[in-house]
Amino acid sequence: MTRITLGGAVLRGTVSTALVASLMSAPALGAAPVDLSKWSPEYVRSIAGTQDFDTAADCGKVTPLDYKGRLTFWYQGVFEGDPDLLRQYYKDFFETFRKTYPNIQLEEQALTYNDLLDKFRTALLGNAAPMAVRLQILGGTEFAAKGYLEPLKPEDVGYSTEDFWPGAMKAVTWDGVTYGIPTNNETMAFIWNADIFKRAGLDPDKAPATWEDVVKYSKQIHDKLGIAGYGLVARKNAGNTPYRFMPQLWAYGGGVFDEATANPTYKEIELASPQSKAALQASYDMYVRDKSVPVSALTNQQADNQPLFLAGQLGMMISHPSDYNVMLDLQKKATGTDKDKAQTVIDNMRYGLIPTGPDGKRAVVFGGSNIHILKPEYVEGGKVDEPAAKAIICMWTSPEWSLKMAYAGSNPGNLNGFKTKWMKERLESIKFLDVTTSMLPYGIPFPALPQSPEIMNIIVPDMLQNALTGAMTVDQAADDAAKKVKDLMGGGL
Amino acid sequence: MTIVAGKTGARQRLRPLLRKIWEHRADYAYVLPAIAVMLIVIAYPIYYTIELSFFNTPPGLQLRDKIFIGVDNYTAILTSPVFWKVTSNTLIWTLASTFIAFVLGFGCALALHRDFIGRGVLRAILIIPWVISAVAASYIWKWIYHSDFGIIGAVLVGLGLADRPPNFIDSVSTVLPSLIVVNIWREFPFAMIMMMAGLQTVPDQLLRAAKVDGANAWQRFWHVTFPHLRNVSTVTILLLAVANFNSFIIPWIMTGGGPSNASHIWITHIYELAFGRQRWGVASAYSVLLFFILMTLGYFYVRALSGNDRKDGSA
Repeated sequence: MTRITLGGAVLRGTVSTALVASLMSAPALGAAPVDLSKWSPEYVRSIAGTQDFDTAADCGKVTPLDYKGRLTFWYQGVFEGDPDLLRQYYKDFFETFRKTYPNIQLEEQALTYNDLLDKFRTALLGNAAPMAVRLQILGGTEFAAKGYLEPLKPEDVGYSTEDFWPGAMKAVTWDGVTYGIPTNNETMAFIWNADIFKRAGLDPDKAPATWEDVVKYSKQIHDKLGIAGYGLVARKNAGNTPYRFMPQLWAYGGGVFDEATANPTYKEIELASPQSKAALQASYDMYVRDKSVPVSALTNQQADNQPLFLAGQLGMMISHPSDYNVMLDLQKKATGTDKDKAQTVIDNMRYGLIPTGPDGKRAVVFGGSNIHILKPEYVEGGKVDEPAAKAIICMWTSPEWSLKMAYAGSNPGNLNGFKTKWMKERLESIKFLDVTTSMLPYGIPFPALPQSPEIMNIIVPDMLQNALTGAMTVDQAADDAAKKVKDLMGGGL
Repeated sequence: MTIVAGKTGARQRLRPLLRKIWEHRADYAYVLPAIAVMLIVIAYPIYYTIELSFFNTPPGLQLRDKIFIGVDNYTAILTSPVFWKVTSNTLIWTLASTFIAFVLGFGCALALHRDFIGRGVLRAILIIPWVISAVAASYIWKWIYHSDFGIIGAVLVGLGLADRPPNFIDSVSTVLPSLIVVNIWREFPFAMIMMMAGLQTVPDQLLRAAKVDGANAWQRFWHVTFPHLRNVSTVTILLLAVANFNSFIIPWIMTGGGPSNASHIWITHIYELAFGRQRWGVASAYSVLLFFILMTLGYFYVRALSGNDRKDGSA
């Protein structure tokens, strides 16, 4: 079944690494110390469980374990679309931190992806920010550029810059200075329901190879079964939208700028290019022409696609391996015949590589999160307890916890996390993990610009909504978005 | 000569005023803390918002590094097509919500003013939408309206009245009316309570006298009941209008102003400009414009209240 597809995927991934490494590595790497070409599922399996780490001892060298202090800390935590397993690891982390550093008074606050930026920006305006914060990958450069963050590099908490993905390090670097440390990094995969494929007359064990196939399959599923084919997401102010549309945009050869090229300069705006328009046209074809995707795509996020998928009402979607665990969690809550239906869907859940564009380009967002320390003048009380902040950062970005906190979904920010015994355990217990590893070489980081959050969370979803609602034609929507990006980059109102 | 006479006149007018203030110095001292708090929490933010409306605040700069641009924010707003779209949405939202919620509330108040079995229970049930949290209500309605698995769609499809669920909130043409329905559902109980209170003040003997004189039900309502409710109606409408101008929760939670700005009203747009896009300057300019509109509404509200007081005093 899927393993065959995965095997093929792995093979393709391995064979093409020499080519695709440049795609991922060049923007991210510069003089890349991490050889991305070796990050195949086989390599990951070969290093899993080969090294032991003593987190408390390692972090004790950064901040003594008997250190007495106080720390305020905000973090992008779990949300409704995350599995229970992840919730438990978050709980375990804070319990362990308190046990490891019993004299640090920790005041932590979890916020969801969509709320964190707004609240953090507001707090900064009133000099009421926390001492340390874990932000989504998009946020790093915005706050670094504005001068809110203290310089912070892996070496400051006992690790080496080479222990982290170069693309992730780029997202915490502004003007040549590093302002944070990556906690986790993710590359999503393509998910489909083999049973739906079979009933729709498609090969149940074969993922659509290209985005054109996605459009075709989506229509076929909808026409034959009367259900939604592909789980399009086009909600504004929701991280899910760029994470699902940008891979499509890049695969078609488009982009916001030249972020998908070997050496991005972010000078040329590509949103109105024919390639970008072709990508937008594909979404338009699915939503407007074929009506083969959920109508609620404009107000929905991935968390809304999950129950649709579990109910057997959705054929395909893009997400993390964690969606498998989410399905298991949701299935436990189902009752009566719904439980059996859900089990059928889970049994038929397949993961594969995200499809390519017309020229064979494959891409995925190289996402994740970073952790930062604030400058004292922006923090409530005007003081930052730096040793306490470094203690929590050391722990979260340790091989152990950067892996555990990404257990069901993404990859550890600290590459040594792959060597731990928990990675070995994870490979055995988390299904479809290989696919997300296979997608790693195709990862493209968001542009490392302070304007990126607005571009990704507002301008790109607006472009989709304008085209999909018929408020504008595809051409007009793309041109309008390109103009907005141009105005934004020019500091316009 | 004239100037001297003018100065003397002014001084003569000022002296009794100062004397009056001095005589009431204890009263002023009592209200001074409240005035000081008001200045800090209301006057300063207003001043700061007005000041900020003359600056550009690009996303790559801190607010303290803002750039003075004069009235450019106002010009940008007034020449932006989004402004007119959002303004038109706000007017439709405010007028439709206010008018329909008032009429519906008034109708319910009239129905519940009569004595019948179960009146208390019905009154309690009708008040529920008003007391329920707006956030919870928005999520419930979002689920009810859901374009793929909403309750309304499921019922219509189940009954064979539709082939596929209707698109309420994912279409530019239906989203605003759909949200207005939710808002009316939330607000009509308020109008109902206000009008029920007003109906208690209509003198019974006048209605009986009109009946004796041969007035039918409509004539009694139009010539006796309604004139007594004119002031409470004005106040209710003004309060609803101000609340609707300032609406945020329902549109923000249910659609975030989308799709394609079709349900953005002023407050949600200001919020997005400020917190989503960090255009503090433009958002402030919007806020200043909204402030003046609401001040105008407030002026009429105060006038309506003063009218009430005068009439009550002369009665």
